[in-house]
Amino acid sequence: MFAAISLFVLLSLPHPAFPDTPQKSFEAIAREADAARQADHLIDALKLYSEAVHLHPTWADGWWWLGSILYEQDRFSEAQASFKRFIALSPKPAPAYAFLALCEYETHDYALALHHFELWSNAGSPGKGALLDVASFHWALLLTRAGRFNEALFLLTTKSKQRGATPVLTEALGLASLRMAFLPEDYPPERRESVWLAGMAAVYNAQSEFRLSDAYAERLLSHYGQEPNVHYFRGILLRFQGNEDSAAEEFRKELQISPRHDPALTEWAASRLEAGYDSEALSLAKRALEIDPQSARAHYILGRALLETGSFHESAQELEIAKRLAPESSRVRFALSTAYKRLGRKQDSEREQAAFLALKDKDNVLAPLGDKFKAPQATEHPQ
Amino acid sequence: MINQKIVVLLACSWALAISSVTGHGSTALAQQKPPATSSRTTPDFAALSDAAEKARQEGRNDDAIRLYRQGLSVQPDWKQGLWFLGMLLYEKEQYAEVRDLMRRFVAVEPLAGPGWALLGLSEFQTREYPRSLEHLQHVRAIGLGKQQEMSEALFYHVSVLLTRFEQYDAAMTLLMGLRKSGSSPDLLVEPIGLSALRYPLLPSEIPPARKEMFRLAGEAALADEAQKRDEAEKLFSAMAAEFPNEPGVHFLFGVFLLDVRPDDGIREIQRELVIVPYNLTAKLRLADEYLKEEKFDDALRLASEVVQLDPQNPSGFMVLGEALVAKNDLDRGIAALETSRKLRPETVRTHWDLLRAYTSAGRAKDAKREKEEIEQILHPVASQ
Repeated sequence: MFAAISLFVLLSLPHPAFPDTPQKSFEAIAREADAARQADHLIDALKLYSEAVHLHPTWADGWWWLGSILYEQDRFSEAQASFKRFIALSPKPAPAYAFLALCEYETHDYALALHHFELWSNAGSPGKGALLDVASFHWALLLTRAGRFNEALFLLTTKSKQRGATPVLTEALGLASLRMAFLPEDYPPERRESVWLAGMAAVYNAQSEFRLSDAYAERLLSHYGQEPNVHYFRGILLRFQGNEDSAAEEFRKELQISPRHDPALTEWAASRLEAGYDSEALSLAKRALEIDPQSARAHYILGRALLETGSFHESAQELEIAKRLAPESSRVRFALSTAYKRLGRKQDSEREQAAFLALKDKDNVLAPLGDKFKAPQATEHPQ
Repeated sequence: MINQKIVVLLACSWALAISSVTGHGSTALAQQKPPATSSRTTPDFAALSDAAEKARQEGRNDDAIRLYRQGLSVQPDWKQGLWFLGMLLYEKEQYAEVRDLMRRFVAVEPLAGPGWALLGLSEFQTREYPRSLEHLQHVRAIGLGKQQEMSEALFYHVSVLLTRFEQYDAAMTLLMGLRKSGSSPDLLVEPIGLSALRYPLLPSEIPPARKEMFRLAGEAALADEAQKRDEAEKLFSAMAAEFPNEPGVHFLFGVFLLDVRPDDGIREIQRELVIVPYNLTAKLRLADEYLKEEKFDDALRLASEVVQLDPQNPSGFMVLGEALVAKNDLDRGIAALETSRKLRPETVRTHWDLLRAYTSAGRAKDAKREKEEIEQILHPVASQ
């Protein structure tokens, strides 16, 4: 389902206008190429487009169609070269970034693919339908591979809410949920069952089908409870269900297995904060930061714990660091606004409140998963 | 084991595969002329082509690979070169390169079943499972031509992939078909065990500690299929005794027992539901059995639980509708059956249920339409 995009989709995408062409022979070839493509004679079209762009290397349309046909035939390294040429020539290449990234995924140029997915996402017109679906899915796979699990989970859970449980989506969710920095094609086969069980638990959790989610999570624990990240994942699911005490217990178990698991410490801290144990949260968040001083989430939790314990100045300091590390997080801005308010810094507080309002509805993938799961509503107090 | 067999088949008969799709023998392909645009390179290409073919026939595989590569650099769409280079590299387990070659091959020979097969088998090896299944299923649609020897490998890989993609019933049908066609039980026992217990894993992905569970399930299912009921029961019983807390075990044993001793079957499925309370398939199978035994309230309760947990479950709505109709609640029964029909229109049983329900409700016109739809499903050509 996610493996390919049909030619129909490729052909329906907008492309730049046909440029003025000085050579008659080129025009004739280009016309024949278009006619062959429209008649679905793709082998002929491929040859003709190749010939045409050889004669007229700045013909953006030609590179686009050449790339599209090669992509349709799964000839990714050749398609990759064509899309690169198209991007270099086109003033608005947004969907081509996605196709280029998809080709790079297939040719295992993963760092480039990730970069081009990010350019695609930032270009403003990412396309729709199948392209959006396939590209965001592969982007999520690469984010998982890069260890950016929360961003991957945000993309994948959004998709699973829309589409329900499909085997490929379940597998991708399982990998990200268990914090396994692999692609579906290259993770150890002996981990397959745990990935499937975690994926099923995550899918049902995203759909708020907690009984089914719990059933799969318990199966996962019964066979794989001694493996890293399994108790952490269970804790995350329990937090999502609002069961903070059980979640805290799972994070504690995770730390027995993986003593330097800073996300478990951070989420444990968040869980304690939510349950009103502010000083416990404070201590846990500090431990998390000793392991990873660059964790925006841990600085945010520590900032909030300090806020709750009345240490407003220290709170603002921690939240400022969190803001620097995760400038797109609306929750950080809201907490910072509150800290400034308590410090009597009215102007700063208003500025952060405005930033919060600007960001709160933005579907950015940079905020932590907890923020995404519990994104504040317009009418709801975010804390 | 199955992969070694493919290598042997490839070595023996790929030339036949080419002729089966092109209408020319390999000699004709060797003489294939490059396009007019590259006529300047023809002499070099012809020499390369001959040398590659000679090296391959003499078993100088490394030389052949080098020469085929050179030939393809001159003429990228050279069908014979793509085929034989693919074959030689498959033997050397260079699956990613074979995959790329076969992609090029099927682009120029879209009706070449063996080409799609080699593509799908290579993708299986590179663990691109969704694509592999898609391409191997495509071979089933277009056929293998003269390469019928490959059908065992094809069906085996399709069936294990279907299991991995949670299409257990379709997988089981193929696997039992392979057994009837003479495939070794040793090859099939684990795939059948996985499919029967409904685990979306490949045989290579079975956790070592539970290999025995899948083996017992597979052997029992094979014995059952061969009508060796006593042997099957012993094996199922051993599986349930050794793995009493594993999901799927009591359900599988219970389904077997329903045909032998229904009361024991019900008890086993109830055990399954203690271990996995949300095993919807088990709930539905039990509800179906209750319908047969005219325990309509029990059937209704279970079917209602299923559709509540999974509102897109067509079988759930079908059994729910049947239970409601059986209790003379025609309106709600028809509504549930209509939901089932909407979710999965190809199920004949739902149409029969609706035919009877509409008739009972005096809706002759609707009943007639259902009858026509049944005809359409059962005899699609005749009813056109």
